Amino acid sequence: MKGPLDRTKVVLRHLPPSISQSSLMDQVETRFSGRYNWVSFRPGKTSQKRQSYSRAYIDFKRPEDVIEFAEFFDGHVFVNEKGTQFKTVVEYGPSQRVPKQWSKKDGR
Amino acid sequence: PERSARVSKVRPPLHQYIRKLLFSDLDKSSIERVLRQLRKLPWSECDPYLLKCFMKVHKGKFGQIHLIASLTAGLSRYHDDFAVAVVDEVLEEIRFGLELNDYGMQQRRIANMRFLGELYNYELVDSSVIFDTLYLILVFGHGTAEQDTLDPPEDCFRIRMVITLLETCGHYFDRGSSKRKLDRFLIHFQRYILCKGALPLDIEFDLQDLFAELRPNMTRYSSVEEVNAALVELEEHERVVATEKANIDKHSETGKSPSRTSSGVISVNGQSIANGSEE
Repeated sequence: MKGPLDRTKVVLRHLPPSISQSSLMDQVETRFSGRYNWVSFRPGKTSQKRQSYSRAYIDFKRPEDVIEFAEFFDGHVFVNEKGTQFKTVVEYGPSQRVPKQWSKKDGR
Repeated sequence: PERSARVSKVRPPLHQYIRKLLFSDLDKSSIERVLRQLRKLPWSECDPYLLKCFMKVHKGKFGQIHLIASLTAGLSRYHDDFAVAVVDEVLEEIRFGLELNDYGMQQRRIANMRFLGELYNYELVDSSVIFDTLYLILVFGHGTAEQDTLDPPEDCFRIRMVITLLETCGHYFDRGSSKRKLDRFLIHFQRYILCKGALPLDIEFDLQDLFAELRPNMTRYSSVEEVNAALVELEEHERVVATEKANIDKHSETGKSPSRTSSGVISVNGQSIANGSEE
């Protein structure tokens, strides 16, 4: 089990529903380029019924990078094309699992 | 009055096929075939749609949920990123449900608890995730201005969530550190229950069944004062143990995380027993 001090996977919640992975990653890249191993982006959705935020999971190389990342992105306000503001939350990923790199090709 | 006929959704054939596999073909006897078919899909193309369908567990039968968890485990050997995404998604849904506490989502939220429990049974999450979730359910929103909307005093839904999760995987917490973690949690849980006051009978019966199954000899406290005293005692005990452990750790290197054999194999009765040997 990973202790609180060696967790490296974070989740960015409450991102604008329409933000694209590339525009998010552009912002991440400027400060954290090369400091993470894995990213998984979950696009949100805007519909009449229910709006869901976008999310991103990022696995950093070092636990210290997580702290710095949270200092910068936790509470960071994204503004969408209509001018609506979205205040992002950074948290540790509740599950710290990331895909294994060796994941073999399925021979099927 | 003239009304236009309801337009039914037209889905691409590939999506129709995925839905057929998961929502009509899937059962205990067909699961291996369904898994093989899923593996044959063009993954780069239908990965997001598959995830979406896997998250529809609440639409199927409650008893089928373990099959979806089993498929997730079967797929994790080749598409570990998919299994990770399923776990992240379920945990997010649980969290989202707590943030909204919407009556209309209850069935879905219960299904997600069951799903998470089954993902533990198939070794896709470890016990720390289960316990973090259990405690999150007890405390989320408490002490904030929204407490009365998120967890109204007469609302027993969170108790149902805990019962569902522990019914699904609680029996694996029967030894070692996970046993102690469950013992500890159940006292906190009792405190939460007592703060709710009188419970509806159906919930009280479900609780009795749960305790009878998991901890038949555990004391059920009858007042908040009693349970608080028990918690103080527990914390005191934990402090002593922690101090002793710290002294031992100075001499020997422990704390190595137990390696779990990730088999991901679908067993005949849909239950993997490997979690029992954890730690």
